[in-house]
Amino acid sequence: MNRTLLIAKRDYLQAIRSKAYLVGLILFPLLFGGGFLAVSLANRGSAKDLRVAVVDHTGVSAAAVIQAAEESNRKARSGSSFGSQGIPRFSFEEVKPEADHTAQLLSLSDRIRSGELFLVLDIAPDALRPSGGSKHDLVRYYTNSSGLDQSGLWLSSAVNDGLRRLRLAQLGVDPARVPELVLDVDVVSMNLVTKDPATGNIVQGEKKNPIQAAVVPLFLVYLLVMITLVGSAPNLGAVAEDKMQRVFEMLLTSASPFELMLGKVLASLGASLTSSTLYIIGGLLVLEGLAMFGLAPLSLLPWFFVYLIADVLMLSALGVALGSACATPHDAQHLAFLLFIPILVPMFLVTAIVQQPNGGLAIAMSFIPPFTPVIMLLRQALPAGVPWWQPWLGLLGVTAWAAAVIWAAARIFRIGILSQGKAPKLAELAQWVLRD
Amino acid sequence: MFAVEISNITKTFEAVAAVDQLSLAVPEGSIYGFIGPNGSGKSTTMRMIANILYPDSGTIRVFGRERSGTRSGEIGYLPEERGVYRKMRVRALLEFHGELRGGRNVTAEVNAWLERLGLAQRADDKVETLSKGMSQKVQFIATVIPEPKLLILDEPFTGLDPVSADSIRGAVLEMRKRGCTVILSTHDMGVAESLCDSIFMIFRGKKVLDGTLASIQSSYGSDTIRVEVEGGAYMLGNQLGELPGIERIKDMGQIQELRMAEGCDPQQVLRTLAARARITSFSVVRPSLHDIFVRIAGPQPEEAPVE
Repeated sequence: MNRTLLIAKRDYLQAIRSKAYLVGLILFPLLFGGGFLAVSLANRGSAKDLRVAVVDHTGVSAAAVIQAAEESNRKARSGSSFGSQGIPRFSFEEVKPEADHTAQLLSLSDRIRSGELFLVLDIAPDALRPSGGSKHDLVRYYTNSSGLDQSGLWLSSAVNDGLRRLRLAQLGVDPARVPELVLDVDVVSMNLVTKDPATGNIVQGEKKNPIQAAVVPLFLVYLLVMITLVGSAPNLGAVAEDKMQRVFEMLLTSASPFELMLGKVLASLGASLTSSTLYIIGGLLVLEGLAMFGLAPLSLLPWFFVYLIADVLMLSALGVALGSACATPHDAQHLAFLLFIPILVPMFLVTAIVQQPNGGLAIAMSFIPPFTPVIMLLRQALPAGVPWWQPWLGLLGVTAWAAAVIWAAARIFRIGILSQGKAPKLAELAQWVLRD
Repeated sequence: MFAVEISNITKTFEAVAAVDQLSLAVPEGSIYGFIGPNGSGKSTTMRMIANILYPDSGTIRVFGRERSGTRSGEIGYLPEERGVYRKMRVRALLEFHGELRGGRNVTAEVNAWLERLGLAQRADDKVETLSKGMSQKVQFIATVIPEPKLLILDEPFTGLDPVSADSIRGAVLEMRKRGCTVILSTHDMGVAESLCDSIFMIFRGKKVLDGTLASIQSSYGSDTIRVEVEGGAYMLGNQLGELPGIERIKDMGQIQELRMAEGCDPQQVLRTLAARARITSFSVVRPSLHDIFVRIAGPQPEEAPVE
């Protein structure tokens, strides 16, 4: 067997038989699935009835606001993709305003702190007749929940709905027709209309599925990132450990430094492909079991594997090279940040890219080779998609970059494995790359 | 026919010449001993022969072919600082090394060597569970499967107990019998004298000795007196000035070695010594390899007049 493949086989078998690999293989789906489970459980936990007190200083608004809020709450619970258990049920009580407004708010705040109430809605006397200057702060709410919950959005809509009904009634509109006048219509997000390149037919865009629109792209990207890191990062410490154990010199009469390095990189690639294939198959089986196989991004899977291969090759080679330059695994830890940069930078940009997948930042970053695999895959997976040529151009850059990284890594590795003493600085590593 | 021909090689690390204009020819089928103090360039020379390092200038030919960076199973190299994958099992490790070196009938060879060096019972154990001596035997086996035409051993006996050292020594001799050329480095002058057909000494990157033990000793002549006296060394006096014609005295406990300066008459020395003490043994001999080594690499007489 080819020497590179022999080394790859040995390292691959050692990697996939290691406890760390097996534990990681099981841990990732547990963590990822556990995350969803935790969200689901958290939602269930908050699905108990939440009591809202309404202090109405207009004297006439409370009933209309409560009616609108109850209708909104009922509608939200029936339309939730998580079912009615995902959204809490609100119950309302009207509290008559007291003379000492501040003392009353303190008393109601204490009821919130004790858990008796979830929220206090405080409607100012002028709420029914807002003028330009006094429009703000006419309705306030007090709650103990974080500012990130959706109470504000939901309440604002419901309160304004109730106040509008009241205003219409005061203008003489038949109360029986008011609900019809303020009836909301659903605003639905759709995928773009496309033209079938084969038939020329125009294909109507489908209604966006929130899972397909956000969960699937994020799952693919997290899977890519996690497998790349798990597959590549251990090389850093493992090679430093092998160097410390003086393993390489025994091997160097049989294999060249490049064969050694390439064998290790291919072993990492093999381990990464093994785990990713298992996860992908597992994911598809889960979707099949949930009768959601249509959500599987099958057309993206080839790109996922292409990007995975590019990322693992780049980072594994870099890990092997840096590990070879270190005297001990401890030294290697100080250089770990170099491995994480190509992965972590795109992760910081995920939110911005999800919001503007074809914005200038997303496009520019997706053509920077170290970041291309993560960012381009994310852009491709989002419903907006990317022009057909962009992934190919990105792939061209990634391929050239990967070749350059492997070449540079091999230059470092050939010197690093026989070097002794303290770990070199980055400038010295650059010199190693350029040295004949 | 030479197994290894080295012509004017130089290897420099930073500003230090580890090997400087070295030439050497190792005959096929011989055991060639490399000696020299630590840091003198032995390991660097061996690494260059083994194709791990490349000379800055000069050429190295192995079995007539210039080293070009290609690897083959014809060279087995046991480095001084050696290690193997400690988590692997002995048999799997040896098969891996054997296959990597291009072996074809690796399993049978592994079994034969494990049996020969008394490791058959530990074949399925992890390397990390072996004693140091056993590990070194495993490393040796990893170097000789498949059987190389040129075996390079950098301090193969260091750290071995006498029994293990004997088994490795026996294996080396047996391989030589089968035609294998052996280059080994050692700090044990006894090993070099008893095991090697030729000895090469490198000091500060330069060749200072090269030849058979007899030819090396001949070049130094019979300039050493080995004397034993009743009452021990102090009866001889410990000042060079007290023994005319003697330029160095080495106290070896029961025996003293006196190195004669050029033109010194051993009969005169004998008469001087006999006047001081009762002599039980007196012989004029060639210097030992150890003595020659120390003369070259040790402190000069003015630095340390009496050892």
